[in-house]
Amino acid sequence: MSAPADVRLDGVTVSFDSFRALDSVTLEIPAGQICVILGPSGAGKSTLLRTVNGLVFPDRGSVAIGGTTVDRRSLPGLRARIGMIHQHFGLAQRASVATNMIAAAAPAMPLWRALLGFYPAVDRRRACALIEAVGLQEEHLARRVDRLSGGQQQRVGIARAFMRDPALILADEPVASLDPRSAGEILDLLRDQARMRGATVVCSLHQLDLARSFADRIIAMRDGRILFDSPPDRLDAWQIAQVYGRGAPEQVMLEAAE
Amino acid sequence: MTIAAEQWSFPRVYGGRGIAILIAALLVLWITGQRVEMGRMATLTVEAVMAQLGLAERSQVADGLGKLMGQLVPIQLSDQRDVTRIEGFDPDRLPLFSHLETVATKVERLDPQSMRREQVIERATVLVRPLGYLGHVAIKMLETLEIALWGTVIAAMIGLPLGLLGARNITPHPAVRVAARSIIGLLRAIPELISALFLVVAYGFGPIAGVLALALYGAGFLGKFYAEDMESADPKPQEAMTAMGAGRLLLWRFAVLPQVVPQFIAYTLYILDRNVRMATVIGLVGAGGIGQELKGSYDMYEYGHVGTILVAILIVVLLLDHGAARLRHRWL
Repeated sequence: MSAPADVRLDGVTVSFDSFRALDSVTLEIPAGQICVILGPSGAGKSTLLRTVNGLVFPDRGSVAIGGTTVDRRSLPGLRARIGMIHQHFGLAQRASVATNMIAAAAPAMPLWRALLGFYPAVDRRRACALIEAVGLQEEHLARRVDRLSGGQQQRVGIARAFMRDPALILADEPVASLDPRSAGEILDLLRDQARMRGATVVCSLHQLDLARSFADRIIAMRDGRILFDSPPDRLDAWQIAQVYGRGAPEQVMLEAAE
Repeated sequence: MTIAAEQWSFPRVYGGRGIAILIAALLVLWITGQRVEMGRMATLTVEAVMAQLGLAERSQVADGLGKLMGQLVPIQLSDQRDVTRIEGFDPDRLPLFSHLETVATKVERLDPQSMRREQVIERATVLVRPLGYLGHVAIKMLETLEIALWGTVIAAMIGLPLGLLGARNITPHPAVRVAARSIIGLLRAIPELISALFLVVAYGFGPIAGVLALALYGAGFLGKFYAEDMESADPKPQEAMTAMGAGRLLLWRFAVLPQVVPQFIAYTLYILDRNVRMATVIGLVGAGGIGQELKGSYDMYEYGHVGTILVAILIVVLLLDHGAARLRHRWL
């Protein structure tokens, strides 16, 4: 178990051509918190997550993880402590579950071991333990990822994110391509694992009901800005309507009114 | 303002531009067709067919082909060697299935005493092996297959690194990519037959030149297709690998390679298939295998031998086609 790391964004601005994805976002997520970022498509949720592990560099402002500023020099060290979970799982579809799991440990092992398949025993054991922890069986290890259901694939995604004992988990819409029941299960699993293994979680979500039962804190974004930032029980219908604007799906409105 | 659907115009299939392209294409075909004598080809072919049907008296094409074809059969199966040329020949212990024959040949010779030309009948004992030439062809065919196999292996060994350096998502630097792509283009630009001509000069007659000629072109082909396949691989696992802090090699190993393996196998099998055919052709310029044997026999007017070789090539290529199709069906 590692010590969870805090995340600090200071005036982060990211533009793609003329489109401003993040507009001077300042945010502090304390270590160990489970923080959900909510908002419509194009609000800047993914960009925010991607700036944290350096997949996107901000035009202005800075990001720091556990007190270390994210830049090209610090990135390799930082990424070793960040696990990422993706909407489309980010798994190599034609490779086995075992290969996908080992891939997360590969950057830390000698190159020849990673390329020739002589994986260290400690990594192999850890992969097995994590696959068990996310509710899969030994038989799944040798199975190709594209033979698994979406829910099972995301379980592998979560297991993989914990391969290197991360201090921070970034989850980019981890349940957006899953059915509602597996979505709930996956989020519960993610939260339990994060609490047990000691990791801060920053997770973007679409569904308000899921966010409420999952998060310690909900941050709502729109047009690259933070609209509000509160514990889940303090959200009201008016705030939700603001996030989703006039074109708000009725379902969200109803859920918020409950 | 919107117009009712009854008044919409459906996009025309034959627009002005389409017709212009059609006319231009016909014009190009008309001019080039005259230059490569397409008209004469048609006349000669029709004449040949008519001759077969008894509607024309004679045809240059049919006569020439028919004469050659007639000489191809019967195909040569046996071979014979003069026993005096076999080292340590023992008439009591003949090789399996072989027998001795005496061959008489008429030779004109100048008699040194009378200073006259006279015909002498020379007798020679030869060892005849009934399927000897067939065995020889089989060995040459095997050599061709071996040349093709090694040509493919070396092509893949050169093509894979070239493909890696030439793929946008894996290359260490854009300049390296340009360099790798240029090498690939160069290799692809030289047909096997031409590189074989030069390699035969460099390495001498035989399989080495053949293997290298096939390998160079194959490396260009495989490098290009490997690279393009890796570039078009699903980017999502690659981004996941980058997010984990993996370098380019690990990204390739864990996020690209698993996706492209089936296509890599398909391309490599195609090159193997192609190499078997091409190995026969480049043998004609002396690069080993059955092609070299074919060229030798053809130049010696031994058309029976040529017939045997052609039948052997036909059988091998058909078997190969069949095998490759089954292999693809099974695995891909």
